[in-house]
Amino acid sequence: MVMKIYKSKILLILTGMMLFSCNSVLELQPTDKIRAEDLFGDPQGVKLYMANLYYQLPIEDFAYFRAGFNQNGGDPNNGGWAPAMSADEAMHSEFGDFIGDGDYHYWEPGYKLIRDVNLLFDAIPNLAIRDDEKAVLTGEASFIKAFAYFGLAKRYGGVSLIKATQKYTGNVEDLKVPRSTEKETWDYVMELCDQAIANLGPVKGRRASKWAAYALKSRAALHAASIAKFGSRAPMSGNAVTQKLVGIDAADAAGYYAACIAASEAIMTSGQHSLYMPNPASPAVAAENYRALFQNPEVAAENEAILVKGFTLPGNNQGHNYDIWYQPAQVANGWPHPGRMNPTLDLVDAYESYTNPGHDAPIVTTVEGSVTDYNGFNPALNYIRFDSPNDIFKNKDARLWGTAILPGTVWKSAPIIIQAGYIKPDGSSVIRTKDQIDVGGTTYYTYGAPSTTMYSGFDTYGGNNTRTGFGFKKFMNQNTPIVPGWNQSTSDWIEFRYAEVLLNYAEAVVESGTGNAANAAKAINDIRKRAGHTVDIPLTVDNVQRERRVELAFENKRFWDLMRRREFHTAFNNRFMHSLLPLVDLRTLPAKYIFVRVNTPNSNTRTFDTKAYYRSIPGIGANGLVQNPLY
Amino acid sequence: MKKLSYILLISALAASSCKKDNYDGPTAGLSGNFFDVATKALVEQDIIRGTQIEIQEKGYVVPQYLIVKNDGTYSNTLLFAATYTVKPIRTNFIALEAQEVTLNGQTTLDFNVTPYIRVTNASIVKSGTKVIATFKLQQNVINNVNKIGLYAHEDFRVGEPMRQAETERDLNAVSDPNATYTLEMDIPTKDQLKTGKSYYFRIGARIDIGEARFNYAPTVKIDL
Repeated sequence: MVMKIYKSKILLILTGMMLFSCNSVLELQPTDKIRAEDLFGDPQGVKLYMANLYYQLPIEDFAYFRAGFNQNGGDPNNGGWAPAMSADEAMHSEFGDFIGDGDYHYWEPGYKLIRDVNLLFDAIPNLAIRDDEKAVLTGEASFIKAFAYFGLAKRYGGVSLIKATQKYTGNVEDLKVPRSTEKETWDYVMELCDQAIANLGPVKGRRASKWAAYALKSRAALHAASIAKFGSRAPMSGNAVTQKLVGIDAADAAGYYAACIAASEAIMTSGQHSLYMPNPASPAVAAENYRALFQNPEVAAENEAILVKGFTLPGNNQGHNYDIWYQPAQVANGWPHPGRMNPTLDLVDAYESYTNPGHDAPIVTTVEGSVTDYNGFNPALNYIRFDSPNDIFKNKDARLWGTAILPGTVWKSAPIIIQAGYIKPDGSSVIRTKDQIDVGGTTYYTYGAPSTTMYSGFDTYGGNNTRTGFGFKKFMNQNTPIVPGWNQSTSDWIEFRYAEVLLNYAEAVVESGTGNAANAAKAINDIRKRAGHTVDIPLTVDNVQRERRVELAFENKRFWDLMRRREFHTAFNNRFMHSLLPLVDLRTLPAKYIFVRVNTPNSNTRTFDTKAYYRSIPGIGANGLVQNPLY
Repeated sequence: MKKLSYILLISALAASSCKKDNYDGPTAGLSGNFFDVATKALVEQDIIRGTQIEIQEKGYVVPQYLIVKNDGTYSNTLLFAATYTVKPIRTNFIALEAQEVTLNGQTTLDFNVTPYIRVTNASIVKSGTKVIATFKLQQNVINNVNKIGLYAHEDFRVGEPMRQAETERDLNAVSDPNATYTLEMDIPTKDQLKTGKSYYFRIGARIDIGEARFNYAPTVKIDL
C-alpha cells in the first residue's frame, strides 16, 4: 500500500513536470535543420541549395535505371538493367524484360524539384547579392525548372503546371491543379528555356551556361516537334486525347522545328563549342578518341562538352556502377556479375562501312549473303572463313570499335575472348554448350578457353557473359582495375554535347524542309569525319537517324527517339533481338572463324504497346487528374 | 484460471468488434457476343491488344475494360450489380454508341456490328513446304486497307498481336471485292516454326482508321 501511494506521487509529480517544462515546444527551432531564412541569407547556403537542385535534375546518366534517377544509393542492386535494353541497343546478359508500366517514372521527384526551385525563385529577390548574380541565379533556376518539366512532358504529356510556390491555406482542394494540354506544357518548357537563355552567361563550367540552355531547348523543341509530326503514326483515344492532354496538332510541328533550328544555330554560330578531335588521322585514332571522350569528358571541357554531370567520389549517392556491371568477365577482378550490357547485332548492323558510305552495313556471314536468316548454323551454307575473330568487322565505322568490345579485341591488355562454339572436323556443331575437343594436337574449347575467368562470352555462368557476341566499351574505365563493390565508378557523364546539337539541327532541317540544308548536311558529315569517314553523304531522314543512332548510342537517347518519332510500336512488333555467334571452324586447318546470325539465345519476342508512349499518371484517386489512355 | 478467463474475455471482445467484411463480393456479370449484323456470324477478335469493352459504373470516374475472346464472345462473371455505361472501343467494326446497362445478376448483352472488313472465301492449305492462304476482302467503309497478313502460332489464339510467324503485305489501298488475295508462308524460312508440330493459322486484314483492330477469318489448324 505504501508502495502504491509512493508510485502515484511520483506519477503525479512527473505529470506536473511535463505540463510546465515544455510549454514552448511549438516555438522551439530544430537544431538538426537549417531554416530557410538562414540558408538563403548566406551566399554559401544558396550554393549548397543549388547543388541539391542540380543533383535532382532528371539527367538520364549512369545512375538512371527503370526505378528512376539517382539509383546509386545504399542498395543500388538492380542487376544492371539499363534503359538501352528497353530499346534496340542492347540485351541484358540474363534478363528478358522490356518496358513495364511502372518503369522510368518521374512524377514525385519531378514535382519535388519544381517545388524546390519555386522556393528559390521566391528567395532570389531578397538575397544579399549583386544584380548580375541574381540574374544568373534566375537563369539557372529557369534552366532547372525547364529541365524538370521536360522530364515530365516527355513521359506524361500535358501535366499540371505549378508556375509559382503553392501555399497551403487549409483547403487541400486549392492545391489541386488540373493538367494543361500537352502543347501548353511544351510551350512552358520553351518559355522557361528562353528565360534561362536571357539570364545566363556564356561562361563554361559545371553549372548551366547559356549554351546548356540552348542545348536543352534544342532537344526539347525537337521532341515536341516530333510528337506533332508523327503522332498520327500511333492514334489514341479517350478523355486525355479529347482534352488534348496528350498529343499535339500536326500543324504545330513547324513552330517547334523552327525553335530547334534557332536554338541549335545559336550554339553553332557562337564559336564557343565544337567537336572534340574533329580530324583524326585514321579510323583507329578516331575510335580511340571517341572512347576517350566518354571515359573522361574533361578532355572535351573546352569544346564538345556543354554540360557535364560529375561523379567525383566513390561512395553511396556519389559514384556509379557501370564498370562493375558492364566490363567483361575476364577483367571482373572478383566482382561476381560482370558483362551485362550486350550490344545487339541490330545496332552493330547499323554502323556504316567505310566501303559503302550512307548505308547500314549488316554483317554478312555467308557467301550466299542472307542477312535475314536467323535459323542457326546450317551446314549447307558456305560460311565465310576469317583468320581472326574480328576480321568480319573490318571497315566498320570507328565508333563501333569505340562503343563495343568486339571478339578478340584487347581490353585492359587482355584479348577478350567471345566465342559461342565450334564446328567439329566431321561437320557437326557444338554451340553454347561447354565442351572441348583435340584436333591436330591442339585442344579447342567451345567458349574459347578452359575456365570461366578466361573468356567473356555465351556461357550462361552467373548470368554474366555476353549473349549477343559483343561486349560493352563506351563509358568504361580502362585505366584502373574494377573495384568490386557498390558505387565505386567515378567517370563523369556528358549530358549535353555538341554532336547532339548538330544532330538535332540536321533532323529539324530535314524533317521540316526548312532552314539551311547545306549546313545541316555539313553537320552530319562533320560528325562522320570525326569518326574517320572521308566521303560525305547527303542529308536524308535515314542518314540523319542512322547517324544519331550510332553517334549517341547508349547515351539513353535511342529510347526517346523511338518514343517521340512514334517508331517504337512498329520497330517492336513481335521482334527478336539478334546476336552474332563467333564459331571456330575445325573442318579446315589451321582453324578459322565463322559467324552465325541468330535470334538472341534464351530470349523472347518483344512487342511495344502503344499506350506506353505515355506513362500512367500516378495517384489519380487523390490528385483527381485525367489518366492517360489505356491505363 | 484467471488468465484463461482474460483470454476468453478478450477473444469475445475481438470477435464481436468487427464483421468479417463490410461489402458483399461481386455477384453480377456481363457476357455476350459480337455478331455480324449481316451474316449473323461471330466477328473474330484478338485476345490481346484487341477490341475492348469499356464499362463505367455510374458515379465512378475510372472505367474498367473487358477483353474479348478470339471467337467474338466475351464474359466477365464478377462485376458489381449496378448501372454501367457500356461501349466497345478500339474495335474492328463501325463504332457503336455507348449504352446504359443495368446489371442484376448474370446479364447477357450482344452487339450487332458491321465489321470494317469481311474476310471471305478464306482457305489455308499446306502445299509442299509452304502454307498458302487465299481469300477475298469485302470492306464496309471507304477507307484504305493498310495491311493483310497470314499469322501462325502454336496456340489457337493466334492473331497479329500473337504470332510466331507471319507473312504480311502492305496494301494501303481500297481493296478489290473481286480480287482473290494470296499470301504464302515458306515454312523453312520461319525460325519459330518446327516441322512435325501443329500450328494455328489465321488470315487478317486491318482497315486504316485510327486505332482500328484487325478483322479475321476463322483459325485453321495445320500439321507441318
